[in-house]
Amino acid sequence: MKFFINARYLIVPISSLMTIFGIFIGSTYAWTGVILFGLYTIIDTLTKDIHLKAEIDDDGNSYGIKIFQYLVMYVMLPVFITIQIILAWRIYQYTSGVILQNLSLGSIEYQNGISGINLIGAVISSALWAGLGIIYGHELSHNKKEGFFVSRLIMALSGASHFTYAHVYNHHLDLGHEDDPATAPRGRNVYLHTWLSHAGQSKFSFDMEAKKLKNQGKSFINKDNRWLLGYFYSLPSIFLFIWSGGLVGLVALAAVWILSNFLLEALNFMGHYGLIRKDGAVEHRHSWDNDSVFTSWFFIEIGRQCDHHVRGETYFWELDDVGGPNYGIGYFSLFVLTLYPPLFRKFVHKHLDNWDKNFATDEERLIANKFNIDQLGKASLVS
Amino acid sequence: MLKIFKKNKIPKRAALLQSNINFEVLPRTTLLSSALSKGIDWPHRCKVGSCGTCKCRVVSGEVKPNIDFSYTLNQEEIDAGFVLACQSELLSDIEVEINIKNKEKK
Repeated sequence: MKFFINARYLIVPISSLMTIFGIFIGSTYAWTGVILFGLYTIIDTLTKDIHLKAEIDDDGNSYGIKIFQYLVMYVMLPVFITIQIILAWRIYQYTSGVILQNLSLGSIEYQNGISGINLIGAVISSALWAGLGIIYGHELSHNKKEGFFVSRLIMALSGASHFTYAHVYNHHLDLGHEDDPATAPRGRNVYLHTWLSHAGQSKFSFDMEAKKLKNQGKSFINKDNRWLLGYFYSLPSIFLFIWSGGLVGLVALAAVWILSNFLLEALNFMGHYGLIRKDGAVEHRHSWDNDSVFTSWFFIEIGRQCDHHVRGETYFWELDDVGGPNYGIGYFSLFVLTLYPPLFRKFVHKHLDNWDKNFATDEERLIANKFNIDQLGKASLVS
Repeated sequence: MLKIFKKNKIPKRAALLQSNINFEVLPRTTLLSSALSKGIDWPHRCKVGSCGTCKCRVVSGEVKPNIDFSYTLNQEEIDAGFVLACQSELLSDIEVEINIKNKEKK
């Protein structure tokens, strides 16, 4: 029981290693990451109706092994670095015109050199798994200094190191409010949200750092400026990809960053779309849960947003269903819907109506009504 | 060396001066979570160190901050000994100033 409960959170680490191996083997195997993403979308959709509670032993203690889970999260940093290195190697081969030929490394056969189409597969695979790696950057952002720093480095691999500060000091505090750029208001689509949320979080981190440095009597250009430092942490990736392929390398890195940040912001989008908090403490009703079984295991329970935002200090394996708003489907399935905004709005309509009727306070319902009238062109039926 | 490890496992105590409440804080446990587990109505909101609702003033003793307090507390507060209870572990027994509404659970 204890082994299974801890091992079930290894889907991303194992899949990331398979993605690395696929890019190394080359040829069509470079698409391994994309194939896995598609496969998991199917599994997530097929298992959407299975929802589990957090398991505890007879003494009420969690089965989670903290040292094991933390070791995995820390090890994911070198795994994500390896994804970038293996991709840079393939870009180097492509831009250097290495002739396609089958070679072997020990008993492992691989294709030396890579075609343009398979390089695209390698880039998309890398981007998808760098993006999904953000779940570890998120989890570690809620930890002590060393974990927080590892979170910064993981996020820096996607050019988003500002996320760590903005998530803790902005998103967790201002959730559901217009001051939180990561909360998507009703009517916004995921594509626009990606840019607005990313820029908004970076601006928040910029302003917070400027204020702190001013209070300390230091100039903005300073080694203690963590907003700047965060972007400096991304420089090794930029140098690596320029070295590997010049302009092609830069385009590939830009694609990795854009797609991985799109996945990050899609999670923010799905986690709080259309929910409203007027004032006061963050409650369970200010988040959407996506806790179908595959989503829970794959995304290390990040889908239990309702509990997470009220008990931000809680380890992911202890988070539980708290009866908050729930889409009823997993992240993979919902993500596919968000890609076509009219379909997503159609799907989410009934859930928002339910939220307005059964979860919102009177003040929140008033604001929701304004959104419904102004942005969706309909009046809420809630009186 | 062994003594150091042994010492780290010793629970510390926090005394709330204005409430006459005294409670144990286990190693690797924050001041706030210990207080809440004892049923103390310690003011709090976000529990991740961003809102400042749980701040209190350490009058004596030493805490280990889990995060940089300077994003939430201003320099005057830090200089005066204020800490964020949700992000503080105890390095020694401490005395704390904070207004607690309710008494400890029996």
